[in-house]
Amino acid sequence: MSTRAWARLDNASNIFLAARNARDPKVFRLGAELDHEVDPVLLQRALELTVDRYPLFRAVLRRGLFWYYLQGSDKHPQVVADVLPPCAPLYEPGHPGLLFRVVHHEDRVGLEVFHALVDGTGALWFLGDLLAAYLRLRGEGPGADGEEAEGESQEAAQEVAREVNEEEASAHRGITGDAFRHHFRRRRIRDRAPDPARFARDAAPAALRAAEELASLVSTGATRRSGRAPRVAGADGAHHRSRVHRVHGELTPDLRPRTVELSMPADQVLVLSRAAGVSLSSYLTALLLEGVRRSSGGLGTARTLAVSVPVNLRQFFPSHSPRNFFATVRLEHTYAPHEADPEVEVDLDELARSLEEGFRPQVSAEALAARLRRLIGLEQMLGPRLVPRPLKDLLLRVVNARVNRTLTLAVSNLGRVRLPEPAEAHVRRMMFEVSAVRPQFCAISHAGVLTVSFTAPFVRTDHVREVVRLLVARGVEVSVAATRVTEHELAEVGV
Amino acid sequence: MSSCRACEARIEGSWTHCPLCGTELEPLTDGTGPAEPFPAVALRYSGRRVLRVLLLVSVGMVLASFALQLLLPHTETGWGWLRASWLGLATTWLLVLIALRERRNLARATAYLVVLVGLVSAYWDYLTGWHAWSVTYTVPIVCGSSIIAVLVLVRVLRMESGDHVLYAALTTALGLVPLLFLVLGWVTTPLPSLLCAARARAPITPPRGREVLRELSRRLHL
Repeated sequence: MSTRAWARLDNASNIFLAARNARDPKVFRLGAELDHEVDPVLLQRALELTVDRYPLFRAVLRRGLFWYYLQGSDKHPQVVADVLPPCAPLYEPGHPGLLFRVVHHEDRVGLEVFHALVDGTGALWFLGDLLAAYLRLRGEGPGADGEEAEGESQEAAQEVAREVNEEEASAHRGITGDAFRHHFRRRRIRDRAPDPARFARDAAPAALRAAEELASLVSTGATRRSGRAPRVAGADGAHHRSRVHRVHGELTPDLRPRTVELSMPADQVLVLSRAAGVSLSSYLTALLLEGVRRSSGGLGTARTLAVSVPVNLRQFFPSHSPRNFFATVRLEHTYAPHEADPEVEVDLDELARSLEEGFRPQVSAEALAARLRRLIGLEQMLGPRLVPRPLKDLLLRVVNARVNRTLTLAVSNLGRVRLPEPAEAHVRRMMFEVSAVRPQFCAISHAGVLTVSFTAPFVRTDHVREVVRLLVARGVEVSVAATRVTEHELAEVGV
Repeated sequence: MSSCRACEARIEGSWTHCPLCGTELEPLTDGTGPAEPFPAVALRYSGRRVLRVLLLVSVGMVLASFALQLLLPHTETGWGWLRASWLGLATTWLLVLIALRERRNLARATAYLVVLVGLVSAYWDYLTGWHAWSVTYTVPIVCGSSIIAVLVLVRVLRMESGDHVLYAALTTALGLVPLLFLVLGWVTTPLPSLLCAARARAPITPPRGREVLRELSRRLHL
């Protein structure tokens, strides 16, 4: 390839480069647990077939004077055994490599992606097609016949099942499909009803939020005090002024994330959230808030808990590009002074409802479009464009650090996932986790199993314990899987 | 697969204790094997260990610096700016380490700092031919300023009444040390020691004998 495709890094992605650090390399992992032990040879063949259909995944990240850009490459991705800690760094400046890896461990397949490449939804498309290709190679699925199954007819059938127009989509799966600009540069908004089945949120705490903060700084020249008290106590309605609580703790020895994966029957939790009259996401967020409060040993004067929630923009502005296309909204809840005591019981349903009330108005198509147009407008202004990239990085890093100080938690819900056949039938449960500087959960549900993965760079898992106990007390059957992070824990299994 | 009685949840993998609460797990015999959902990945490094090694190395270097001084001449003329700044840096580093280590216990940090500064200045005095400036001036001044610092701390911090007793004891002890030097006749000018001892009489709490006794019985319980 002499003339390689390239594209300036899209809007939301720039922040991931500026904000990545040793604790949080901005990598997320999507996983699938199959009904058999994974065959790495077949998975490798499936990976090669799938990457051919997603040229974006061949891209490497390079540094220009003013921007980062993605450039096509002819690198061949390799399926590897899962020998690194989850969400290990993928991008190293100066060493352009592929921005994703596919790993396998027993019956699990994992896709780890550097967040600047695609978002959770984009990665999910790739993983779905990868698993479908793998299972067809294995001889599963209707009319499957080994490698020939990768023929035209199956291809077409699969795409029909996914309700995606392949001809149109493939154009967007390339490197140059930037949905942000597609929708907002020409001020074009198609007002479509949200599709609840695809109600998907991806995994990018604070990202766009920070970019937006920068936008407001640049456009108004105003400087706001960092660590300020929240202006309005959000959904709480009580308008107490209080500091934002932040979770601290002993870091893991080599800064790998501590992952605790909770699997539970989705129905049991849905019944609970419906009884409270809220969405599953709001209910889970309320659980996490309570988990943090109950494990905090007393909130003291920092009674506000702030949560960053990414919202998938594809549900409002249809796009077939897997590249980052989300906005982050901020939710917060201020506990009443007497509730700072972890022993005090708080009505969980009430808390979930107040979170939902704070969330709803922020995620209308109009509200999001207005915010994003401002952001894109900034990107098109000549002044900021002339700022050299290292300086942009520095600015974004400062702003990101400021935003981080005003956040307690991050949550992300990819929602209920349907995979293309034959993957749908052979995947028992799916997993979703993300590297995080602050306690975070990522939820995904498939085949009736809801998996909620908690990640944090801390050794202690007290907040997860409280969440588990809250769930168990409400009759949910929870299964816990955790990574080993301390020397002592690893020594138990002879590592 | 096992189960945690305290969390009432199933625990996947071969954990012997609950990863959430530490309770000993009960193995489940429902046919699911002990498959590990996550591979056990060896640590790349241990930040804690790296820090500990760096700390020990630096403390070793500081102690060696002090010991080396014994081999050099013990007179004012044999003392140059190089030796002074060398010892000064070593002492500063020790002070930083103590301040960091005891940052959550200000009473102990104060006590440690006073002891360290006292010992170093006495040693310094000895190395430069013992003119008793350390016991006459340095120790009383450091003790006196620490008493002021503790008085400010007690005003500023919210603390339990038991801690008040502790801080009161600390100020008394800080006042008594220079007085002891005075009684032993080690000082050349009595004024700094007397001033320091006078400051130690500033009461932290109205004396409440029963509270003091209760705190003492707790702390000195055998």
